[in-house]
Amino acid sequence: MSEELDLGLAVLDHQLLDCDGRRCGNVDDLAIEGGPGEHAEVAAILSGPNVWRGRAGFLGRIAARIGGDGRVRTPWSEVAEVEAHVTLKKRAPDYGLGRLDDRLRPWIERIPGAGR
Amino acid sequence: MRTLSSLLGRKIVTESGSDLGRCHDVRAELGASRLRVTGLVLGRRGHLEHFGIGAQASASSARVRDSDLIQWKDIVRFEADRIVVSDSAEEA
Amino acid sequence: MKIFQIALGILAAIGGFVDIGDLVFNVAAGAAFGYQLLWVVVVGVVGIIVYSEMCGRVAAVSEKAVFDAVRERVGFGAGLTTLIAAQVVNLMTLAAEVGGVAICLRLLSGLPYRWLILAAIVALGLIVWVVSFDWIERIFGYGGLCLLVFAVAAVKLHPDWGDVAHGFVPHVDTSDTLLYCYFAVGLLGAAMTPYEVYFYSSGAIEEGWGPKDLGINRANALIGYGLGGFLSFALMITGGALFLGQEIEPELLGSIAMGAQVPLGQVGLVLALIGILFAVGGASIDTLFSGAYNLAQFMGWEWGRYRSNAGAPRFTLTWLVLLVLALGIVMTGIDPVMLTEYAVIFSVVALPLTYLPILLVANDKAYMGRYANGRLANVLGATYFVIILAVSLSAIPLMILTNVGQS
Repeated sequence: MSEELDLGLAVLDHQLLDCDGRRCGNVDDLAIEGGPGEHAEVAAILSGPNVWRGRAGFLGRIAARIGGDGRVRTPWSEVAEVEAHVTLKKRAPDYGLGRLDDRLRPWIERIPGAGR
Repeated sequence: MRTLSSLLGRKIVTESGSDLGRCHDVRAELGASRLRVTGLVLGRRGHLEHFGIGAQASASSARVRDSDLIQWKDIVRFEADRIVVSDSAEEA
Repeated sequence: MKIFQIALGILAAIGGFVDIGDLVFNVAAGAAFGYQLLWVVVVGVVGIIVYSEMCGRVAAVSEKAVFDAVRERVGFGAGLTTLIAAQVVNLMTLAAEVGGVAICLRLLSGLPYRWLILAAIVALGLIVWVVSFDWIERIFGYGGLCLLVFAVAAVKLHPDWGDVAHGFVPHVDTSDTLLYCYFAVGLLGAAMTPYEVYFYSSGAIEEGWGPKDLGINRANALIGYGLGGFLSFALMITGGALFLGQEIEPELLGSIAMGAQVPLGQVGLVLALIGILFAVGGASIDTLFSGAYNLAQFMGWEWGRYRSNAGAPRFTLTWLVLLVLALGIVMTGIDPVMLTEYAVIFSVVALPLTYLPILLVANDKAYMGRYANGRLANVLGATYFVIILAVSLSAIPLMILTNVGQS
């Protein structure tokens, strides 16, 4: 059961979801392994500000500088499905994704009414 | 290891020098837990086509473009700013 | 029961249609040119119907909100440029709306303006933090319906209905064509404010719309915005009947509210002020969320009005920061009405950047399957793209040449 798809159209820049449906970043780039003419496959999803450096030239470099050094490499074997979004097999923290949200949450939770 | 973004938009030429266009996208085959790269999708008009003006989706699948394909096995080498493919790829 | 719910939703949409840009430009256009620009409002209303229908359909079928689609379609680089432009314009609009709320509060209470800016920001922040979104929509939507007082006022002012009807036919009957064009651009910009579609498409995702909801999408767009357009007509007619040929320029919101007071007395004035307060207040909340939606969607963060505040931390932080930034802008003492004009003009300039990707995605069978634009949608979509592009390119020159509508 295999299906053809175009990476730029169906995978790149798509929303990443973990197994609970939590949004945890974007497919900022894909790592392809395999030389010309050989067997090649997508090894991993790359996400994080450091990855933007290669995407958008000047603006990307500025955005990367603001965003910091984060760079997460998620092996393609962790992908559960590729539909409107790319869904992963495990939870976001297992991959190091969504870390900023996790780090920010305790601060917001201190404010009364944060659960509303 | 190369990145998808480094391939997109790169010029594609044959060994004998004919210009086939630009790499519009990369075709892959989605397996159980593997995503095997099968080829490069050709685009002639560059930016316009990237915006989808003039491009049609394929009738068979919603996730591939209806454009010419260069098989990955026909790639000879990657150069700094372009991708060189074998001459036989031109006829495909 | 379902019909009742839909009707309520539409009522809320009508009440929420008008924002500070519509108030300023419609009444000012009436004061300057009488009813001559009514046809432009029609063009603008049809435009927002077309745009929001497409955004809603894209969201329902491809599960992507505006900035999801922008990023996927035009890529990270161009998408980032679009995001920055959209956020700058959005922030200007937010500041203008908040300024409008503060002025309204001052007219109602007599308290000092600067304090009321702070009060407005704090109140908005608290409301968004604490109140559930459904209630926000209801309260501000129904409160905004008080603006119907302008429809009553328009009728009671006994305008020359022949002249009014003539206004729906495109014509120019003035020597000041530059100013006419400036107002036309402003009216279009006020009708087609981008934050409305960001908000609408994000809402569609949150409601979990699918292809089965395309009928609701069309009804919302057509009826909600269509009827909302009537309020804009009422504003222009009131402005024209009262202020045309007079020296009074409706630059202050108070003068706009006076549009209801003259024919209807104190009751009219109070209803107008309440209507303006809720409409502009609701618009500030929509604009605030839109700014947070855009950034979160582009970055892939968790987002949503239905998420708890702690459930989407970076999204929550974004709107909090935007509120603080808006506070800073309005506290500089800048005239909110002038800020509104700038915000509307700049949003017109940036409009093609978010319109085009949506038009392309709506057309792309890879995303939309059989729900891609049909012929009518494409004719309308393409026509409006041309209109938007023309207006976008002429907006700044017109603004300069007419000295921001003063000439």
